[in-house]
Amino acid sequence: MKNLLEIHDAHVYIGSFYILQGISLAVPKGEVTLLLGRNGSGKTTTMKTILGLYPPKEGSIVFKGEEISNLPTHKIVNKGIGYVPDTRRIFGTLTVEQNLIVSVRKGGPKEDARERLDFIFDLFPDFKGFLKQKAGTLSGGQQQMLAVARALMNDNDLLLIDEPTEGLSPLLAKNLISALDRLKEFATILLVEQNFRAVSKLGDNYYVFDNGKIVHEGSDMEELVANKELVAQYLGVSI
Amino acid sequence: MKETVQRRLFSLKDDLYKNPQNRRTMRFVIVIAAFIIGGLLVVAAINYYTWDEFFVRASKSLVDGLALSMLLFLMVSGFFLIFGLCDVINFAHGAFFMLGGFMGFLIYIGTEAIFLDPTLPFYLVFGANPFAMSVTAFVISAIGATAILAMIGGGIEYFTVRRLYGNPIAQILLTVGFMFIITEVAEIFWGTSVFSYFITPYSQINYFFITGILDFGGAMKFALYRIFLIFLGLAVAVFMFAAFRKTRIGLLIQAGIEDSEMVEALGTDIRRLFTLVFMLGAGLAGLSGAVLVPWIGANTGHGLTYLIFAFVIVVVGGAHYGRFEGTFFGAIIVGMSMQVTAYFVPVLENIIVFIIMAIILIIRPGGLTGE
Repeated sequence: MKNLLEIHDAHVYIGSFYILQGISLAVPKGEVTLLLGRNGSGKTTTMKTILGLYPPKEGSIVFKGEEISNLPTHKIVNKGIGYVPDTRRIFGTLTVEQNLIVSVRKGGPKEDARERLDFIFDLFPDFKGFLKQKAGTLSGGQQQMLAVARALMNDNDLLLIDEPTEGLSPLLAKNLISALDRLKEFATILLVEQNFRAVSKLGDNYYVFDNGKIVHEGSDMEELVANKELVAQYLGVSI
Repeated sequence: MKETVQRRLFSLKDDLYKNPQNRRTMRFVIVIAAFIIGGLLVVAAINYYTWDEFFVRASKSLVDGLALSMLLFLMVSGFFLIFGLCDVINFAHGAFFMLGGFMGFLIYIGTEAIFLDPTLPFYLVFGANPFAMSVTAFVISAIGATAILAMIGGGIEYFTVRRLYGNPIAQILLTVGFMFIITEVAEIFWGTSVFSYFITPYSQINYFFITGILDFGGAMKFALYRIFLIFLGLAVAVFMFAAFRKTRIGLLIQAGIEDSEMVEALGTDIRRLFTLVFMLGAGLAGLSGAVLVPWIGANTGHGLTYLIFAFVIVVVGGAHYGRFEGTFFGAIIVGMSMQVTAYFVPVLENIIVFIIMAIILIIRPGGLTGE
């Protein structure tokens, strides 16, 4: 089984809006797959569709060889998917520690929680200092680290990471991307990112979205960066 | 005319916003004015009554006010939990509270009858010991009312509300419908609100475990049960606050109040959490209704009355911004103000909470703890 996750021809409506118009993609095991494209092109919706928050009207989603498109969200997630949402969505009224506690899934591995925490501290050394702090009082960068840490509290095979560098200073973004680079060893990553140059070294495969459709796909990031026409047309960056 | 006033008010607001110095002065002036008005009222009250009588009334209103506040807090915290986590404005909450009262009453009478039946073994234990009998029957009635209402609340969520998440109009219609259904059914059994007061279960042996009176001489007498209610309410409140901070399920509920979709995306079955919270909320309504019976009684009219109190408390406390403490402060304000006016200005008893609500909404539209 080469692909951890496969989406076949998914059509997704939100209310009466036709958002994803037949998306097919594959996320190979152990690799980083990038979803690229402008705002509103359907990247985040794709993530939420995988999670079952917007179930597809047509099409199928296969995770670890199992059809998951008709399952409720918590069952899908419990199969081993960690989610780092855009705009972080940490629980501001809870402390950092409590945020991590609620992220440990029921029946999840309790005994190695300590180990996981050590791994998180190793990944984000600043983290130790603010465990008891209210998450709402953290800076944007710290909140983003917390959002990533939350997804690492369980044994996840697939991490869905949505716009991790949004709103971060270039230095913080660089640190975060090198942290993601380390995570590659442990999990398969599906990454949405506007700033595709920053992650071009990270990605193994990419899909370019436009208006709810995939318009380009490939696995050679250098070729993508060099393809000025494509970049200007779909990624909204003029050089 | 109206527009000019409005414009003036807005410009005043802008002005105060831009000049923190003026705002601070304004606040200072308002606080001083409030103190002066409050002092004048106290002086007027002392003049109107006598000093002794004033003192008696003040201390009695304090005890009764706190007791009522705690009861209201228990009820409204259930209302708040359902609203906070599930986004459902539960119009049937007052009806749950009313039904909790009748359930508490019935269970007390029933348990007493069983305990005092000479043909049953319980008689050996409780026959000669009315205190133990009464305490046990009271505890069973409180727990029983909580459990029954939790089942009803959970059932309503599981079979009906669950299908209507994300559709607020339908939810309102549904819960309003349940309010009427529960009230009408209660009226069939126990009569309309005019003649359905079921107070302290003195029943068979004319004994209730906590009818004592704390007597400080003269008119300074306090019913022990009301003091007991204060401590009971505080104990449940402390227990709940601790459970919210220390247990996983409490933390999940708090997190869900903030962002329920994210809780779901982290792998928790949010639907089950919703059912649980409905059970908890309705159970709290049942508990508060049941312990109200020995003091105020069970009445089919309570449903609507206490539903309105719940709304006022949430708005005054600012709990609609997701602050749990808000329900506590709101309950204290509503309970105290009602009892203080009941002792000093009885004509205002039924409208004081709305006056306070209007004032607070003007000064702080977000309530006491809101933004």
